[in-house]
Amino acid sequence: MDAIQLEHVSKVYHIGAVETQALNDVSLSIAQGEFTALVGPSGSGKTTLLQLIGCLDKPDQGAVNFQGQDVTRFSANQRADLRRDHIGFIFQFFALVPVLTAYENVELPLLLSGVKPKERHARVTELLEAVGVSNRANHRPNQMSGGQQQRVAIARALAPRPVLVLADEPTANLDSANGQQAMELMQRLNQETGTAFVFATHDPRVVAFAQRVIHMRDGSIEDNGAQN
Amino acid sequence: MPLSKLWTIAYRSLGRNRRRSLLSLLAVALGLALLMVMNGFIAGIMEDSLQNSIRLRTGHIQLRANSYEEDTLSLQSKDLLLDPDAVAERARTLPEVKAASPVLWASGILDTLDDSAGLQIYGIDTDSPIYAPIRTALVDGAFLTPDDRSGILIGKSLADSMSIAVGQKVNLAIVNSDGRPDEGIFTIRGLFATGIPSYDQGAALMPLSKAQAFTGTNRHASAIFILLNNQADTDKVAATLRSPDINVLTWANMNQLFLQAFQAGMSFYAILDGIVMLIVAVIIANTLLMSVFERIREMGILSALGMKGRHILQMFLLEATSLALAGIVLGIGIGSAGVGYLATIGFPISDKIASVGGSGMALGTTMYARFVPDTFAVLSLAMLLIVLLASLYPAWYAARLQPVEALRAE
Repeated sequence: MDAIQLEHVSKVYHIGAVETQALNDVSLSIAQGEFTALVGPSGSGKTTLLQLIGCLDKPDQGAVNFQGQDVTRFSANQRADLRRDHIGFIFQFFALVPVLTAYENVELPLLLSGVKPKERHARVTELLEAVGVSNRANHRPNQMSGGQQQRVAIARALAPRPVLVLADEPTANLDSANGQQAMELMQRLNQETGTAFVFATHDPRVVAFAQRVIHMRDGSIEDNGAQN
Repeated sequence: MPLSKLWTIAYRSLGRNRRRSLLSLLAVALGLALLMVMNGFIAGIMEDSLQNSIRLRTGHIQLRANSYEEDTLSLQSKDLLLDPDAVAERARTLPEVKAASPVLWASGILDTLDDSAGLQIYGIDTDSPIYAPIRTALVDGAFLTPDDRSGILIGKSLADSMSIAVGQKVNLAIVNSDGRPDEGIFTIRGLFATGIPSYDQGAALMPLSKAQAFTGTNRHASAIFILLNNQADTDKVAATLRSPDINVLTWANMNQLFLQAFQAGMSFYAILDGIVMLIVAVIIANTLLMSVFERIREMGILSALGMKGRHILQMFLLEATSLALAGIVLGIGIGSAGVGYLATIGFPISDKIASVGGSGMALGTTMYARFVPDTFAVLSLAMLLIVLLASLYPAWYAARLQPVEALRAE
């Protein structure tokens, strides 16, 4: 079953008088539990595609179907609810809330979804354990290494038990050892939880982890890497 | 999203740029402290002046003949109370009345060989507690006795300016009840310094019976001067004493000029208050806007996690509230210290400045501030409100950021 489907999606950015066709008639399905890499040169539309899949933005044309619903018709608040409950995000710059501890950062999406305190505590503890930073639970981001921060970010993305986790260049700011560990961690969690992962990257070592590789160029999908 | 967690984020966010937060907090605190001192000071000056005026010039209530005109200090019997003792006695029977006694006023000129000065003569019941403040303010000589036929009291500053000493004889010239000029020789019995230049430089006190004889007003009086135990009973007592042949004046009627000046002063102060608050508002708006600009990416991340615009709005408003509350607490501390200092030590002014108020205002030579809790509470609330209003724009700006744009920010 598909987690998300994009049908003939196009997106144009207007920066001043300049028009940039970020995505051009893209159709794509991501199945549940997939571990997918999105590769292509800079400016090929990877980030834009991730933003549309993640319901952070709406396409100019086409439809985005999430579990059978066309989310392009959703209001900003409805899309916020959908992201909160079903989609996790991992960013290149770790993107933890700097004033919150590791524990609180992982807890944040659960607070947003109104998960009860007892369950919240259990889930956060379990996730911090799973990503190997339980000894850093009470540390703030500036007291942790980049690798530790990215692990916390992975835990946070998985906290609401999403259908799909989207990662934009998740290893770009990590050294190769930490990058390798982060990818192994995501792969393991993908297998354990059945959550689909889509990560944009141009690092061949990262691509090697993927079950499916989607190649993009100039806003179009060159090869959608559909599984055999 | 529970408010407590938003509050945590808001509160901790203030610690990110401690210096900036501290400066904003100080802006709120010092702004409020300044407002408290300004308002406490004006309230103190106004209230002290009013009480001085009531104590020395007007009393709480005066009873006069209907035709009496204060400006002319008329001594004609048609303008005077013909049986003042009976009227005073009637007032004294009321439980709210602390003291009531007849007084006779006349304008006169005090002459020495070298100098002369115009003043107001007060024929007073020397035994009445109404004149306790003058007894207390006596700095030289002795107070008057009822049967003193030649003694007067004058203010020390008048005596100094005319080089008059206790025991010295002076000439007092008046126009008596028949409209004819008259004069008499009096001895200075004592000097008082009430601290109210308009009184110390322009009043001469003598026993009522002597004043009546000197002016030819028989046993008549200009007014019955009434002090109450409680100023709040004024209207009630005034209503009880009202009768067709007597004009009942309250302190509010008699200090009308002063009260009007007070009102005008308060409007001016309201403008100053507004300016101070506006300055604080601009500082706070600037702080929060800077804080928003620095955290645009973070807002994008929170938005990606599913946080809604209203949560982000709440978060920034809570940040402003924390800043405002801390600033207000500190401001109340600093402001209270300032008001406390000015309430005990006071602020000295020269006699000349104090006399500017003239007979309409009884300014003392030291001005004291006063704690006005109601006003301070209103100012604190207004400060909280203005800070929240000032933070609305930055908070709204943060709340309406599109997640994609916010994430793109550097």
